[in-house]
Amino acid sequence: MKKNLLTICFFLLTLSLYAQKKYELGKVTVEELNEKAHPKDSSAVAAILFKKGNTYFDYDSDGSWAAITEVVTKIKIYKKEGYAFATEQIPYYTGGKQVRLFFDDAVTYNLVGDKIEKTKLKSDGEFTEKVNENYSLKKITMPNVKEGSVIEYKYTIRTPYLTSLSDWYFQYPIPANFVEYKIAIPQYFNYSVFMKGYLAVSKKPSTILAGAARKFNELITIYSVENVKALKEESYVNNMENYTSMLQFELASTDLPNQGLKHYAADWESVVKNIYDDKDFGDELNYKSYFEKDLEPILKGITSREEKIKLIFDYVKTRMNWNEKYGYYCKTGVKKAYAEKVGNVAEINLMLVAMLRYAELKANPVLISTRSNGIAVSPNRTAYNYVIAGVELDNKQMVLLDATSKNALPNILPFRTLNWIGRMIRNDKTSIEVDLMPQNNSKEIVNVVAAIDEEGKVNGKIRGQYFDYNAYGFREIHLKKSKDKYLEELEKRYTGIEIDEYTTTNDNDLSKAMIETFSFVNTNLVERIGDKIYFSPLLHFARQDNPFKDEVREYPVDFMYPSQEKYSYTITIPKGYEVESMPAPLAVAMEGNIGIFKYNIVKTANQIQVTTQLDMNYPIIPPDFYYTLRDFYKKMVDKQNEKVVLKKV
Amino acid sequence: MKNLLFPLVIVLFFSTIATAQDIEYTVANIPAELKENANAVVRLDQKNIVIASRKSMITTTKSIVTVLNENGLSYMNLSEYFSGRERIKSIEAQFYNAFGKEIKKVKRKDFKENSVSGNSIISDGKILYYDYTPIEYPFTVVFSSETETSNTAFMPRWFPVPGFSVSVEKSNITIKVPSDLGFKYKEFNMLDNPNITKEVKSDGVSFTANNMVTYKAEEYSPSFDSYSPNVMMGLDFFNLEGVDGTAKSWAEMGKWFSDKILAGTSELPEETKVKIKALIGDEKDPLKKAKIVYGYVQEKVRYISIQEGIGGWRPMLAKDVDRLGYGDCKALTNYTKSLLDAVGVQSYYVRLYGDRNKKSVIPDLVSMQSNHVILAIPDKEKYVWLECTSQTLPFGFQGDFTDDRNALVLKPEGGEIVRTNVYETKDNTQITKGNYSVSDDGMISGKLEIKSKGIQYDKKLNINEKSVDDLKKIYKNYFSHINNLKIIKTDILNDKDNIEFTEKISLEAAGYANKTGDRLIFALNAYNPSSSVPQRYRNRTNPFEISRGFYDYDEVTIDLPKGFVIEAKPENTEIKSAFGDYKTEYVILNENQLIYKRTYQINSGQFDKKDYENFRKFKEQIAKNDNAKIALVKKQ
Repeated sequence: MKKNLLTICFFLLTLSLYAQKKYELGKVTVEELNEKAHPKDSSAVAAILFKKGNTYFDYDSDGSWAAITEVVTKIKIYKKEGYAFATEQIPYYTGGKQVRLFFDDAVTYNLVGDKIEKTKLKSDGEFTEKVNENYSLKKITMPNVKEGSVIEYKYTIRTPYLTSLSDWYFQYPIPANFVEYKIAIPQYFNYSVFMKGYLAVSKKPSTILAGAARKFNELITIYSVENVKALKEESYVNNMENYTSMLQFELASTDLPNQGLKHYAADWESVVKNIYDDKDFGDELNYKSYFEKDLEPILKGITSREEKIKLIFDYVKTRMNWNEKYGYYCKTGVKKAYAEKVGNVAEINLMLVAMLRYAELKANPVLISTRSNGIAVSPNRTAYNYVIAGVELDNKQMVLLDATSKNALPNILPFRTLNWIGRMIRNDKTSIEVDLMPQNNSKEIVNVVAAIDEEGKVNGKIRGQYFDYNAYGFREIHLKKSKDKYLEELEKRYTGIEIDEYTTTNDNDLSKAMIETFSFVNTNLVERIGDKIYFSPLLHFARQDNPFKDEVREYPVDFMYPSQEKYSYTITIPKGYEVESMPAPLAVAMEGNIGIFKYNIVKTANQIQVTTQLDMNYPIIPPDFYYTLRDFYKKMVDKQNEKVVLKKV
Repeated sequence: MKNLLFPLVIVLFFSTIATAQDIEYTVANIPAELKENANAVVRLDQKNIVIASRKSMITTTKSIVTVLNENGLSYMNLSEYFSGRERIKSIEAQFYNAFGKEIKKVKRKDFKENSVSGNSIISDGKILYYDYTPIEYPFTVVFSSETETSNTAFMPRWFPVPGFSVSVEKSNITIKVPSDLGFKYKEFNMLDNPNITKEVKSDGVSFTANNMVTYKAEEYSPSFDSYSPNVMMGLDFFNLEGVDGTAKSWAEMGKWFSDKILAGTSELPEETKVKIKALIGDEKDPLKKAKIVYGYVQEKVRYISIQEGIGGWRPMLAKDVDRLGYGDCKALTNYTKSLLDAVGVQSYYVRLYGDRNKKSVIPDLVSMQSNHVILAIPDKEKYVWLECTSQTLPFGFQGDFTDDRNALVLKPEGGEIVRTNVYETKDNTQITKGNYSVSDDGMISGKLEIKSKGIQYDKKLNINEKSVDDLKKIYKNYFSHINNLKIIKTDILNDKDNIEFTEKISLEAAGYANKTGDRLIFALNAYNPSSSVPQRYRNRTNPFEISRGFYDYDEVTIDLPKGFVIEAKPENTEIKSAFGDYKTEYVILNENQLIYKRTYQINSGQFDKKDYENFRKFKEQIAKNDNAKIALVKKQ
């Protein structure tokens, strides 16, 4: 007991220490206004001097609870490019119970001579925009902002929606000197807390404070972090949100007076169970009368599981058209969707599950979070935003199916779904994790036969075969364009090439490799310097530059799927010339078998034959391997650009 | 007898309609030439505009569009915009399959509403739209709507062909308007087009286009309205957000705008006037005074977009801009003008199009045109143009957002159409001078200085104030043809007085020279190669344009590694054409040193489609020459 008291005292002490640091509004100093650049990041156009959030709960006279979040922010503007940070906009939900949002204490501070000038935001700087029936935006634009200004504002949101509290971010596009989040949770509520990102956020001991003015006890926790670097975008990143430091709160249970203990989804099992129990999910899986008579003739006499899967999957893909709406709940319902041939993700894929079950397959829905939704970290209903179908075969083999894309195949899913792990929920409401990342290297096999004439013109034929995800991407991206447009893009990508006799094969036969063939002429590939001829035997396929130019890397490199590219070239040299020198063969491997590049070259009397192979064996490469990756690419690019030298006989 | 006949007539009537419709919507009936290169075919676009009075315009639309594939979805046309003074009286759509069978029908309640604010902090623009998911291709959409507005200041511009890769079976627009409102129109690119007919009526006009084939999106094409048929329309007597206006002449319209829209917005607080006068001091020269005021505004305010009601046209009060320190283009221009008034410098509010494509106010049709506002200060017969939304542009510098186009200058005596500043080819210069040395393992290291002026200055402005880290990224991109590039040092200087941007860069790159056996091979033009070659078109269909010319000069001294001799080097080149000139010179100073000189000029102009291939060849030759390599061989 005594020990407990001590902690409380200690805690109170730290609280008062904070107060001394003056992380509160209205304390702008001349030094702050005079500061010309951020001391730790001179490139910062603006910086958050501090940002503090404070969430507490209250109940109305009618006994309904609300969560109130007050956010105070102090921002320093260094440069004109930072003026964007003098405008703030907060969205709020207007499609149900009332959510209230208001700004106050919004002030701009400037230094005029050696005096601090204060300009308050008035109502003419505050705007409300009704975006649609469900959302509105409140916006403020601060008055009198100049280079050097410090701006401050506070906003308060009062919401009756308590299952998921707003995420709290510790990291922003500009540096943040101090970010704090304080939450006081009444004794009746129990939340699960999830922290995501790379920052070392400190957490002050949670303490129960007996409510003095309040009628209930609260669990108070304070999270804080100092000197946060600006969040910077990098190429080959799936979704920056995945690496942004933030807090998420999910309601686990409530024990309100006279209402007893009530559990909410706060672990993955219960989240998915809750989803399953919803009529727009679970019930929709049980209907089958709507498809029975259509499916019966198709499945007649079919016994093989693979065959059944294929037939049902093709049937749903052919019949249904995705309206590009995400979500795991049905909106119009599977029956209506089936009749209208249009549905959202849930309608299409739950219908698919129902049909697979009808065919006596062990099929279940798999909840996932798409790439744009970020990685599902904390178990809550918004962690997922999509559902696909999974069929369990023997020995833990799994077939994943998404019928929203006409070009998808069993275990070839649309790119949007390739995002770490999903969760399969079975009929008995138990659930298991499902790895969504492709395991096998998607192949690309390209054969080039070409001849160089005395003028340096290269004539040739190319046959490219694309498999698995390469085929999916080709069909999804290139085949949807007009042929002319695609050829124009190809000619643009490979400067100087002129394409003719273009054909594609297996456009719609997804079971086979996607094949394209064309002939080409290129006068730009060969250089005649003096009486010698120089060229890269990889012709226009030689990669011109290393895509990894940055010297440092913060986040993993995302290739989406592992791949293997095999190219072979047979090049006939012009009459009257012979090979004077040619590049040496090469094989480089990245540590841990992440990537392998092989280059082989041989010559005959009038021909050069080259084969290259690039294996990238993982879909995602952690930043620890960035330097080796960059170096690997450098060696590869250098080799690809090495020249064969021909001389006159 | 009557009783007997009546039902018969009705039956006949209905059955005719039904058959007519089936034929209308059946894809098989589309003529082959309209399917060529088309993603969608407009079967019918019927627009009836009835102007009952200066304050009432009703537009009835019926469009039937067959979408052939998913790239044609944008031509479904399933939406209407509206705002405060515009309302949608009815809206509905039906969908038919390829055989003309109805597959879906939607009513007003199925349409959704969204705000369309773009980047504006506030806007009252809204859209009512239906989000259709096709279940098969091709399919046909029949869309009908009726909208009413009291804004008669803007009449639609009629484009029988609405864009690229879409063809048109029939498109008609019919205007009915009281004769006393001064209805007028101007036709573009319609002369001698046998597929377009016009019918002038006592109470309006009607245009009809039949069997229009597709246009293709092609690189270097001028703006679509400059070569596709279209008609602009307007009224001499109109209403704008509740304010009556006249547009009989630019002079009159300008006067109206100044008197009815701008008047009363320019008052400033006394203390601001005192402050600005103090800043001016004893300065007498109007342009020097203006420069001080412009600098003051650039320090004080920032740009924020506001689009609401009459606020879309009338600027925020100057005193509010003074107090709040922000505003949109109208507000900031009006504020600058008010400050100039306070110090006795004459300036004019200018309405024009802000657009990198040099979109011009069409002088032959007096009407509400423009989407942007700048300020003009008279300087003898010429003008100094001020972009008041920018905190960074030098005084009097327009850049490519408002240059070389017709603008409406609002003078106290009335409006006047004036051409804004033209950046001539020889003024848009980039001079690169530097050196580099090559080591025997192929590494280069060197320094260069780039000076940019005119439009090329404008292009450099966005790197001003970037941090060292950002600059390194920018230069890695600028020199993306150099692998393994390391930027050692960067230094930039924005000389706003002389409007000249200077960049100093030192860099190095391992393996720039390709080592092959005993040889080193590398492109001599390391600092400024032009690699872009325009897209090849099997059949070029559009004319093409080079909207702005430029002039580049490079002079680089190159130190070769000791112990190597030049085995082969490119020859001096000179290429002359209507599109520009290109010249390179390789001057050998001694066995280890040479100078590379390059002059590259591109002329602006409008060209015929038949010249496109020559232009492409010209750029290709330049790309080739810029990549010309030298071969060094080790001395034996």
